[in-house]
Amino acid sequence: MRASIGLFLRTIAARAYPRIIGMRRQPSWVIHEAILPILSVASFAYVYRAMRAPEEYVGFVILGGAMTAFWLNVLWSMGAQLYWERSSGNLELYIMAPGSMMAVLAGMALGGMILTCVRASVIMGAGILLFQVPFAPTSWSMLIFTFLLTLLALYGLGMMFASVFLLWGREAWHIVNLFQEPVYLLTGMNFPLKVFPTFLATTAALIPLTAGMDALRQILFKAEGFWPLEVEISLLGGLSIVFLFLAKRLLAYLERLAREEGRLTVKWQ
Amino acid sequence: MKLPQKTLRWATWLGWQLESNWTEPWLFLIYVLVKPLTSSLLLVCMYYAARTATAGAVPVEFLPYMYVSNACYMLVWAVMFGMSYAVISDREHYRMLKYIYISPGHLQTYFVGRAVAGAAQALLGGFLNLAIGAAAFPEVRNALTRQPTEWGWLLFYMGIGTILLIVLGLILAAAVLNMARQGMFLSEGIAGILYLLCGVVFPLAVLPKFLQYVSLALPPTYWLEGMRRSLLGTPPEAMLQGPLSSWSQGEIALAVTGSTLLLGLFGIWFFHWSERRAWRRGRIEETTGA
Repeated sequence: MRASIGLFLRTIAARAYPRIIGMRRQPSWVIHEAILPILSVASFAYVYRAMRAPEEYVGFVILGGAMTAFWLNVLWSMGAQLYWERSSGNLELYIMAPGSMMAVLAGMALGGMILTCVRASVIMGAGILLFQVPFAPTSWSMLIFTFLLTLLALYGLGMMFASVFLLWGREAWHIVNLFQEPVYLLTGMNFPLKVFPTFLATTAALIPLTAGMDALRQILFKAEGFWPLEVEISLLGGLSIVFLFLAKRLLAYLERLAREEGRLTVKWQ
Repeated sequence: MKLPQKTLRWATWLGWQLESNWTEPWLFLIYVLVKPLTSSLLLVCMYYAARTATAGAVPVEFLPYMYVSNACYMLVWAVMFGMSYAVISDREHYRMLKYIYISPGHLQTYFVGRAVAGAAQALLGGFLNLAIGAAAFPEVRNALTRQPTEWGWLLFYMGIGTILLIVLGLILAAAVLNMARQGMFLSEGIAGILYLLCGVVFPLAVLPKFLQYVSLALPPTYWLEGMRRSLLGTPPEAMLQGPLSSWSQGEIALAVTGSTLLLGLFGIWFFHWSERRAWRRGRIEETTGA
């Protein structure tokens, strides 16, 4: 039991390591992971400035830009990751290794979270400096707790995606692409959720970013939320448990299916 | 059939197959429509949010301005991304670029053909996007029908726009030939810069003065202004005025033609230089796990 927990933790650390160390070894990430998102943040911030919207709306855009980094990380570096690993020949090594695939996914998530936190901080910092938006959290502890809970639910969803993507070939790339803009829209990345009718906002709440960002906006800007803060926090907690549970079940099922259908070593699809 | 035409035809066919045959036609149609539509709807939601927050102070002309501009811009993104991603996918993923390079086909024409498929997809998405926008939002519908569409100018801008986008795409593809994994992000980066500096979704006057000068040096700024003006006319609202508002259609057309010509000459030189450099350094068959 002790040995298997040790192996599980070592696998997490081993899979998280390349993601974290990659920041130092490949500093070009600053350009494509921090400066590029700032460009789109700036474009949307100028939209609100041109429309003379309240300054907190520019803050929504900056927060949205930072949270976009996590969504992109979940899609490309969690969801599609096993697809890339298969193409580069690593997937069969993961399957053969004694460590559990769940630990591999958890390591990917941990590394991705740490890496993306740095990126998101750069986006937030640059956005605040460029657009001089005042951030005044009502409670720092609540802010950190809500943020971490959002990440837990989000990466749980990412782990679920990763197992589903095991079965896909070339369509994985297109599906990831397909999940980008609609999610920006549904989660209210750049605008308050109250623009949506209730049924749409409720459906969108299945994506952790929706409740997470609405809650963060309430804490950071004292903005009016779509739901009370406590409801959003409970929802995020519930989603975290459901997604992690489903990720474990799906991974076991789809790994078996992928073995049976001989898809674990298919390349260049 | 002459060789370049053959290359163009087969590259277009290949590009279309790669873009479309991964799924059923119905899912593909949704895919074509969803991306541009949701990106436009995001702007629509921002507009309604700002309008509510300012108690209706945001002029209604803002919505068609953003909507039409964004729909046109999707073409820029599709062509630039299509051409540069063709280099990466053929070199890194399918590992076929070296064979294409040594084949009698013309490399530039091949990349143009690959981009045509993406452009056709973006064009289809753009038309559907505009049609849905006109049907769903009275602000967009009224702006499109307020004055007759200037069809002559529209055709001119579509023609010159095609050349401009091909040139931009070839410059990016040439740059990516000499890049490793960072090449993946180049087209996105340039697309982001153009989205910001060309004033795609806001009037240029909002930008700081020095950025307005940079924006006036970019050919897509004039192209987008021309497309917008052909479809919507000159915006009557003072909030939407910018440095190009006082320019006539003829002046904008001249600016976009001149700047495209200059960019084209640079593009031809740059592609040959980059191709030669990539060949010398073995970059055409290099794989970096991108």
